[in-house]
Amino acid sequence: MNAKSPTLPPIPPKTGPGRAIKRSGPVPAWGLKLGGFLATLGVFVGSFGFAGTHLYVTNAPLQPSTVAAVAVTDTTSTATATAVTSTATTTTTTLTPSVQTTTRAAVTVTKKS
Amino acid sequence: MDLVFWEIARASGLAAYAALCISVLSGLAPRTQALSFLANNRAVRALHDWTPWIIIPAALTHVVALLLDATARIGILDVFVPFLTSYGQLAIGLGTISLDLLIVVLVTTWLRRRFTNNAWQWWHRVSYLGFVTMFLHSMLSGTDLTSPVIAALSWASAIGIGYYALERLGKALNPARIRA
Repeated sequence: MNAKSPTLPPIPPKTGPGRAIKRSGPVPAWGLKLGGFLATLGVFVGSFGFAGTHLYVTNAPLQPSTVAAVAVTDTTSTATATAVTSTATTTTTTLTPSVQTTTRAAVTVTKKS
Repeated sequence: MDLVFWEIARASGLAAYAALCISVLSGLAPRTQALSFLANNRAVRALHDWTPWIIIPAALTHVVALLLDATARIGILDVFVPFLTSYGQLAIGLGTISLDLLIVVLVTTWLRRRFTNNAWQWWHRVSYLGFVTMFLHSMLSGTDLTSPVIAALSWASAIGIGYYALERLGKALNPARIRA
């Protein structure tokens, strides 16, 4: 280095070549774990509430056919379900209303005038 | 009762997605400084090591609720072998693949001492594929993702993870940047 070269001013720390010290946040490991647990639990509880108020989503991407479930579980109802396969190979359900007698006590009374 | 299982399946699916996001992000964070505003690398690493405790219950709840839900018609074989369902084969199959990959990552992590570090790292990188398949599964089959708010949150978290994954990849491919 030339001895006659002028003395350079000190480099300000903000523009110096050295990396700026980046301080990390103060949250301890247990705090992160608790936060992760609460976040997941919050998503579960919030989604459960949302699903409860939006049970039937008509534009849901998956719409499993319920024909099989109806045929099995609906034997005691007043309507019978019949799976009909059309020529277009799509399965449709035809509900046929029918009147059945019951042994249950009447809920309503019809007054005779 | 079927409706309760259906609600639990939907909620636990989203919870599992959230837990996986936390796990992947905390795995990326030590190299990308993604969570440096929150905590130091040691704490973030501790969080990452702990995340199976939230992922496994959420994923198990999702699977068991779908098995018990008669309308979903998911069999025990469908849980482990993809593309066997009678409907939504791709959408549900992606979920099956993500569960299989999750099991692979968890098992290889627990058996880490039996692998060389390099081999274990390659096994662990399968988790990126697992996250992608889970994201696609949630997009293609998630009933609640028809809600704009839930969809926006899911997309935002996936984009954030994608950004940090690319940053991590860039640093891996250019080690000089790490030393600089």
